[in-house]
Amino acid sequence: MPKSGGNYEFRCPVHGFIVLNDWEREIISHPVFQRLRRVRQLAWTEYVYPGATHTRFEHSLGVMHVATKVYESVVDRHKPVLVSEMSFNDDGLGRDKQLVRLAALLHDIGHTPFSHASEDLMPDRPNGRKYEHEHYSAALIRGPLRDVIENHPTCRNYGFKADDIAALIEGSATAKQSLFWREIITGQMDADRMDYLLRDSLHCGVGYGRFDLHRVISTVDVAVQADAGSPRLGISEGGWHAAESLVLARYFMFTQVYFHKTRVAYDVHLKEALSDILPGGQFPSPEGAHLDEFLAWDDWRVLGLLADGRGGEHGERLRKRNHYRQVYHTPESPTIVDLEHLKKVRAALGALVVSAQYASKSWYKTGAPDIPVVDDTKHRFARPLSEYSAVVRGLPSSNQVLLYAIPENAEAARVTAEKVIKRVHTIVERKTTGTKKPRVRRSLKRGGRRGGRS
Amino acid sequence: MTEELARRIAVMVSLVERAPGKRLGRTAIMKLLYFLATLRNVNLGYRFSLYSYGPFDSEVLQDLDYAKNLSIISSRVVGYPSGYGYELEPGPDTTSARSFDARFLRQHESDLIWVINRFSRLSASDLELTSTIVYADREASGDTDINTLAQSVRDVKPHFSIQKISEWIGKLSGEGLLQSIH
Repeated sequence: MPKSGGNYEFRCPVHGFIVLNDWEREIISHPVFQRLRRVRQLAWTEYVYPGATHTRFEHSLGVMHVATKVYESVVDRHKPVLVSEMSFNDDGLGRDKQLVRLAALLHDIGHTPFSHASEDLMPDRPNGRKYEHEHYSAALIRGPLRDVIENHPTCRNYGFKADDIAALIEGSATAKQSLFWREIITGQMDADRMDYLLRDSLHCGVGYGRFDLHRVISTVDVAVQADAGSPRLGISEGGWHAAESLVLARYFMFTQVYFHKTRVAYDVHLKEALSDILPGGQFPSPEGAHLDEFLAWDDWRVLGLLADGRGGEHGERLRKRNHYRQVYHTPESPTIVDLEHLKKVRAALGALVVSAQYASKSWYKTGAPDIPVVDDTKHRFARPLSEYSAVVRGLPSSNQVLLYAIPENAEAARVTAEKVIKRVHTIVERKTTGTKKPRVRRSLKRGGRRGGRS
Repeated sequence: MTEELARRIAVMVSLVERAPGKRLGRTAIMKLLYFLATLRNVNLGYRFSLYSYGPFDSEVLQDLDYAKNLSIISSRVVGYPSGYGYELEPGPDTTSARSFDARFLRQHESDLIWVINRFSRLSASDLELTSTIVYADREASGDTDINTLAQSVRDVKPHFSIQKISEWIGKLSGEGLLQSIH
């Protein structure tokens, strides 16, 4: 890591040089952060897209970089609004820039091995709901990282605690005024999304996932909505097509990469193999001493155990690249009729179906999180992006259901599914056209039976 | 469709059908679901966290989109003096959702009626404020007082005056909906 003018530089395949200060370098050097070098960003995706071997480590650096650019753009262009509407001053803005950088840098440190693929194996919280990786990130910031965050000399210049970073990531009222910036960390135009789309696209080698990052950054705005309680991060009118392209980039990456049928199958095997490997079938909780046990789990450890023959049937499938095969899927946005067809197919396939997976995602959310577009008039009226963009407004969410069979049964299952669908279509066609089922002559039918018996 | 999703959609449809004029804004349904979870323990598995626009969980909107795709709920754009918003109403296939989890709906009928009666007529702005107050209240450790809670809410939502925030805290506390004010 070369040093330049008191700062340190990382080379990043997406953004060029990423600059760090001494404090951030120490945080990155901490074993909790270094663990991210051993957590792949896209799990087993490399079995479909061989280049997808990148890790949460480089993604986290990228998110910090993009978050900084967004923050600087807002402050450079809209400082008067931040001062008048949010009562920020120079000290507060300087403090919050560092806070946003650290929250962006650390937002993913709580990931399980192979990232999202194994998140379902997080244990239940006392309230019965599952822990999520943000809970682990917050616990690690408040626990093992507290010392390196709070006891570095640079921290004194900013006067915030590890809890303030965790509060911004979690979404807590204790984040106070800084909560305004949370949409840079998690939102519909957040730095996380902007980085992973470009990075995953690059490493997968696909043409999807690209958008005009620099245009989005240079047009980020502060929207003051008359009927809302607080100013929001939005985009200037000149940038709404760039924001629209970000939404579309996400749609294409999910449909072409993240929801790829074989990738989804490997997620199933990985999750089941891990469930077999982990004590009690789940990861340790982020509470107390269990947090250290959790940190010991990374991709290397899991791969070592798999190489040793662990993981049961699914471990074996991963080792031998003998994954489940997709035998039927609904349309991306199934109607009630499509779901009825699915029910019939499932009933006909019975035990041939070994897994049903749901590829569910909304590409853009209207309502409160809709990105406000600030118009070019002197009044700076804000209207939602979904009002500007018919494409964004009309993009239906994906709720695809995919059915899988073991490779040996895949062909038979596909044939059965096709027969069911053909039968359904024939019935629908007859109902629509009013044609009747062809009659079979009684004498022939009887003759056939007799012949069959003899 | 998973059991959880069917239950969530059944509750959403029920809220829309019980709303005044059978119409509910998207912001409103988000906050009503938050109130149901926090004030009435109606557990639908959502995980709300706080933004400057109040408690929010993106899964609510994802589920709404699903209901929209199935024509169970319809959404239309409406104009307000300050801009535009989305209003939800029962869709052409809304009856199919009534059977999704009828037992759960019967079990929580009084909760649904309560949340509609108490909160559905509030403006989007007041819903943002009241839900943020409840969120800050649940985060406050131990006992606190009106002034401290009001200040913590104002830190998040500086557009509201301390007076307005305090008035709402007084109202909600008087109805026994807050835990940290005694």
